[in-house]
Amino acid sequence: MSFLDIDKATKSYGAVRVLNETDISVEEGEFLVLVGPSGCGKSTLLNMIAGLEGVSSGEIRIRDRRMNDIKPADRNIAMVFQSYALYPNMTVRSNISFGMEMHGVRKAKREEKIAEIAELLQLTPFLDRKPGQLSGGQRQRVAMGRALTRDPDVFLFDEPLSNLDAKLRVDMRTEIKKLHQKLGTTIVYVTHDQIEALTLSTRIAVMFGGEVQQLGTPQEIYDNPTNMFVAGFMGSPAMNLLPATLRDAEGGVAVELALPDSSYISLPFPRGATLSGQDGRAIVLGIRPEAMTDPESADAESPAIHQAELSIDVIEPAGSDTYVTVSLCGKDAIGRFRANTSARAGARFPFSFDMAKAVAFDPETEQRID
Amino acid sequence: MSIASSTHRIARFALYGVLALFCLYYLMPLYVMVVNSLKPLSEITSGGMIALPKEWTVAPWRNAWSEAQVGVEATGMRPYFINSFLMVIPAVAIATILGALNGYVLTKWTFKGSTILFGFLLFGCFIPFQIVLIPMARALGMMGLAGTVPGLIFVHVVYGISFSTLYFRNYYAAFPTELVRAAQIDGAGFFTIFFRILLPNSGPIAVVCVIWLFTNIWNDFLFGASFSDFNSQPMTVALNNLVQSSTGVQEYNVHFAGAIIAALPTLLVYIVAGRFFVRGLMSGSVKG
Ligand SMILES: Nc1ncnc2c1ncn2[C@@H]1O[C@H](COP(=O)(O)OP(=O)(O)OP(=O)(O)O)[C@@H](O)[C@H]1O
Ligand SMILES: [Mg+2]
Repeated sequence: MSFLDIDKATKSYGAVRVLNETDISVEEGEFLVLVGPSGCGKSTLLNMIAGLEGVSSGEIRIRDRRMNDIKPADRNIAMVFQSYALYPNMTVRSNISFGMEMHGVRKAKREEKIAEIAELLQLTPFLDRKPGQLSGGQRQRVAMGRALTRDPDVFLFDEPLSNLDAKLRVDMRTEIKKLHQKLGTTIVYVTHDQIEALTLSTRIAVMFGGEVQQLGTPQEIYDNPTNMFVAGFMGSPAMNLLPATLRDAEGGVAVELALPDSSYISLPFPRGATLSGQDGRAIVLGIRPEAMTDPESADAESPAIHQAELSIDVIEPAGSDTYVTVSLCGKDAIGRFRANTSARAGARFPFSFDMAKAVAFDPETEQRID
Repeated sequence: MSIASSTHRIARFALYGVLALFCLYYLMPLYVMVVNSLKPLSEITSGGMIALPKEWTVAPWRNAWSEAQVGVEATGMRPYFINSFLMVIPAVAIATILGALNGYVLTKWTFKGSTILFGFLLFGCFIPFQIVLIPMARALGMMGLAGTVPGLIFVHVVYGISFSTLYFRNYYAAFPTELVRAAQIDGAGFFTIFFRILLPNSGPIAVVCVIWLFTNIWNDFLFGASFSDFNSQPMTVALNNLVQSSTGVQEYNVHFAGAIIAALPTLLVYIVAGRFFVRGLMSGSVKG
């Protein structure tokens, strides 16, 4: 049994099943991120853990205690909402102390805790203001402060940063990560931002259509996506998913990629060794932009760098990198080049493919096959 | 440019002129009432309704308030004025609180059939008073409240709930549910959330509700006439008696004074809370 167990939990509204049977075990001190596109059921799952939504079937346990019928207030959890949900009629001080008051904490103790939290989150100058008199970032910190009063077993965050501007979001992301390192409390965090998921989490659950598609460490999810949805959703720019053909070659398997002029390039595919003897099978080859780069930027450690010359369609300089679009297998594929590359749009340029990083999917089932 | 600005100015004068005219038109009755309540009867009967008093007097006011023959005794309108307050304050308070509670439950603790229930409650807004007169009289009789102020309070609360529920339900529908959820996680219960989180944020709609109920209940005549006896008659019924029942000469100046006294409380409520009334009506429909 782990610290937080989600055991075959489902959620239905009438006949509509919004969360299919879900199993997730979270160890104490973990930072689990639920990530996925809008409407995939992230908030629903989080609210089920909080006790704000009932569980249709299955079980949720915290510290081996069955939570299904326990009130939110008695689950020893704290939650930060997307809209912050600060009480508009109360000062920052009262907002932070409300939960403690409800749990019968004595006044002196409350004051002490408020001072401590205000110090931690740099809220001391704002304690006597109303939420309406605060900036977005300050409100966000008050919402966090309110959650921190409880020494909860689990922190639940529902897109806490999505209302902040880009710069502040990055700052607060770091703050949250620091806070987690400092307090070591278990966190379940909902976001639809895959960068947030990759940077914050110790483990990620990628959700889609009311189903957990893959559960794993950020590295596992990034390097070894189990299906095309996860591959396309995690990473920016997204992984290139190219319809290709398997070929048996001497000493292993190769993939054949179609060029616009209806010729082919053929690249050895070491990870596809298990697929030998399936010459001619159509697959979808997944290859990340950083594994399609200029020869100077290629990973010198990689055992499977292969070059091919391609004609470049578009060049997009992005400061630290340059994104290069080529037409491959009838799709626009993006490669990531050095910032000061000499590649030019319309010209041909050698690409280094890191085939050790490439993965293969079945075009029908969309599942990993290598 | 000068032509444009001069036509602009003419249009503006015309506009203000029309507005001033309407203003006069609306204020005329009030003027007539005030002026005539301040002159001796002889001045009115000699044909001067519009003119200012030649001889100013507050005697009609004193008369209407404490001396006129309204019921059996010459008590003036004072006891009935008090009756009205004894009726209107509890009725407004109870109907408002119940409406707020209903709105809270119907939006934040919805249950199977809550929409239908709300539909039925709304139906109450459209039931004409006359239809319920006889069943209500019977119900009041069975409860032992016939002819009493508490009986009137009961009737008005029953009618008021429909409207107050409508107001509060629509207001709370736009009230962020996340606040309720946050309070739940903080450990607040059903009533704590209501009194500490929702009610303190309901100022505008509460004002709308109070004004609406106060005006309607204060001005009600039908229920007052039907369900009260001599000791519990509200102001409106007393005013009617004053005007109808006075024997001998019709003391118009006293009637005018009495009518103004009867209207004063609602007037005051509007002046004090009217600002919030408009704001509240807006905030119900437009978010933020
Ligand atoms: N009360 C409800 N009745 C019926 N369906 C609902 C209800 N609440 C949510 N849903 C559905 O459940 C699904 C999951 O909703 P949820 O709020 O969990 O999405 P989400 O992953 O948090 O999305 P977002 O990123 O937009 O917040 C959605 O398709 C939504 O339409
Ligand atoms: Mg959500």
